[in-house]
Amino acid sequence: MGSQDIEMSNGFDYCQEYKGLQVLHAHHQIKELQTILRDKNTSRSDFKFYADRLIRLVIEESLNQLPFTDCKVVTPTGATYNGLKYRSGNCGVSIVRSGESMEQGLRDCCRSIRIGKILVESDADTHEARVVYARFPEDIAQRHVLLMYPIMSTGNTVSKAVHVLKEHGVKQECIILSNLFCTPQAVQTVLDAYPKIKILTSEVHPVAPNHFGQKYFGTD
Amino acid sequence: MAAKINTLDPPSSASSDSDIEETQADFSEVFPDCEIEEEKSGDFYNTPASPITVPYCPRPPSTGSQKSPRSRRQRTSSLNQAAKKTAAECIIRTQHRTIYTAGRPPWYNSEGQKVEPFVIGICGGSASGKTTVAEKIIESLGVPWVTLLSMDSFYKVLNEKQHEIADKNEYNFDHPDAFDFDLLISTLQRLKEGRKVEVPIYNFVTHSRETRTKTMYGANVIIFEGILTFHNTKVNEMLDMKIFVDTDADVRLARRLRRDISERGRDLDGVLKQYTSMVQPSFNHYIAPLMSHADIIVPRGGENEVAIQLIVQHVQTQLQLRGLKLREELAQAYAINKQPRPDTVKLLPTTPQIRGLHTFIRNKDTPRDEFIFYSKRLIRLVIEYTLSLMTFVDKTVETPQGVLYHGKRMATGNICGVSILRAGETMEQAVCDVCKDIRIGKILIQTNLQTGEPELYYLRLPKDIKDYKVILMDATVATGAAAMMAIRVLLDHDVLESNILIVSLLMAESGVQSIAYAFPKVQIVTTAIDPEINDKFYVLPGIGNFGDRYFGTEPSEY
Repeated sequence: MGSQDIEMSNGFDYCQEYKGLQVLHAHHQIKELQTILRDKNTSRSDFKFYADRLIRLVIEESLNQLPFTDCKVVTPTGATYNGLKYRSGNCGVSIVRSGESMEQGLRDCCRSIRIGKILVESDADTHEARVVYARFPEDIAQRHVLLMYPIMSTGNTVSKAVHVLKEHGVKQECIILSNLFCTPQAVQTVLDAYPKIKILTSEVHPVAPNHFGQKYFGTD
Repeated sequence: MAAKINTLDPPSSASSDSDIEETQADFSEVFPDCEIEEEKSGDFYNTPASPITVPYCPRPPSTGSQKSPRSRRQRTSSLNQAAKKTAAECIIRTQHRTIYTAGRPPWYNSEGQKVEPFVIGICGGSASGKTTVAEKIIESLGVPWVTLLSMDSFYKVLNEKQHEIADKNEYNFDHPDAFDFDLLISTLQRLKEGRKVEVPIYNFVTHSRETRTKTMYGANVIIFEGILTFHNTKVNEMLDMKIFVDTDADVRLARRLRRDISERGRDLDGVLKQYTSMVQPSFNHYIAPLMSHADIIVPRGGENEVAIQLIVQHVQTQLQLRGLKLREELAQAYAINKQPRPDTVKLLPTTPQIRGLHTFIRNKDTPRDEFIFYSKRLIRLVIEYTLSLMTFVDKTVETPQGVLYHGKRMATGNICGVSILRAGETMEQAVCDVCKDIRIGKILIQTNLQTGEPELYYLRLPKDIKDYKVILMDATVATGAAAMMAIRVLLDHDVLESNILIVSLLMAESGVQSIAYAFPKVQIVTTAIDPEINDKFYVLPGIGNFGDRYFGTEPSEY
């Protein structure tokens, strides 16, 4: 799908550099969603509608990263289908506030998945990120974690969140970051600090659409 | 006779005025899930797929002005073999399932190409019994789908002066100039091509066409009847068989007298005057000579059983030669020659998610709520994928961050969805979720349990559908017979073949092949392709009956 140059422009070249980075297949239609979200003239209702579509696609793709085992089932026609079964023991963690916009998308795919939350604030003076609030399922250390945060520009917030998860005993290789837009710098910051986590995004671009959270929740 | 057919015509239609309540009840009883609306909104073709009857279309006043409103002779109509049965006979009940028979069977062959209908022209003087002959032929033919087109629909619109003449019983309705042959030829041509036509409804009181028209479709057999059927050479070329009904002048006059006096309350002198001054001379001048064009001349009209049997035998032989055993042929065609999968087939990348979702919905033990949930997810994925197949153009936008962003925009704004009832309906929600304010049309196709063939029952499409990219939705495609019928319907509504995408969750290899080779420009989108179909035309390993599982209408035992 999609020609090479478009894939490049969406950040596929960074994938070669970082094993942990994966960029959504750049269909033109995904590009259209990104265009609408970045356009400053997009109305809020359109913005939310198309953001939800893009989130759904990113979440569906993130779920592909989760572990599964093969299994056989019998179909109503009596034939056998070689399918697969996802392992249970996953959970979502959203980073407040913009990460919460992705919770619904995850709920739409996994009805009863547990969802934890982290609130990270950056200090007004030092710009250092600090964790204000964190609440996870008790057994998070045994789970695969889908960390949700749509816009990554510096990577500090996510680094901090991953740090908290590690403190709770989550293994690096069990963390998958679901992200819509990120900058090359953020990818570098996060993956240099935590090389084993996986980042799944729809676009790597030097300019991040930082208005996302405000426009999505309507607080601008 | 005609009136009788009208009232008994069960699956009739949106536009027939008399039977609406009945029809609605029938449909809603049988398909409680599908909403049958009868509103005549201008935005939609409101078209019954199955037999079409004409609303009130009075007998033409070859007899002069109309005095009695009682004469409801039904002329132009499509009718169905089942029309002669009672409504109850058209419903088959098996294993607690109710199935409505009598839709429109295939009108194209396994390559998706239309099989030309057999067109029978019936000509003869007024009151010679043309309609009776036509009805007898239909009755004996046993063909499920017949369209009866009457020349009466094509009378010219009269201007004021002609109107006055007509009021004085002096306008000659039996003269060739009274007919609009251009419109007639184009209508017949389109019918012969199997396309949808709008047949005018002529009002014999105002001598003009009503704003409403009658929607008709081509059929396996088209019967065209009228007093001057063979007058135009172009029309003659389109007729596969020409029948002249030759009834004695005395008999015809006697019939006219009885009809006009007792049924229409006209006086003897007026009728006789009109007969001698116009009807009789026109017959001698224009109609009688047409006998030389005829293949068969039927003396004594409808009473002539021998002649009608001969005609029917000939037509049946002709129809058999054109053969329509679609589904079987489709299933076999693939087994014989396996061809490479064409590039119009777009299979979603088989990610673990897609396989995982398939595992849920294919498992026969999956409870219905999970089945619905996971099907919806899969549907969403396939619809999103479908949108990525549209044409896109470059677009540069300004961002709040102050930089320009070079992105894409969909080139076509006009996308509409059309679902094939019932399983396709499950996909409508997903289309609405990804395309704001999208228009959704519906096509109802059911399999006739006796013949195993798909039949078209109902359709409702956006009015200007020819300008749209159409996402045609059906949950599963086995032989491809229903999908092909739906595509054929869209093409008959002038949708470009390259503007059609057929989208489904699961297809059988043979169905994919049949559709792809029949309609090489139609894009086929699916999440999985299974290798085979069983003798009941279910996909293997398959999902089972998707619609039944989704809507919870499975029969208690498989």
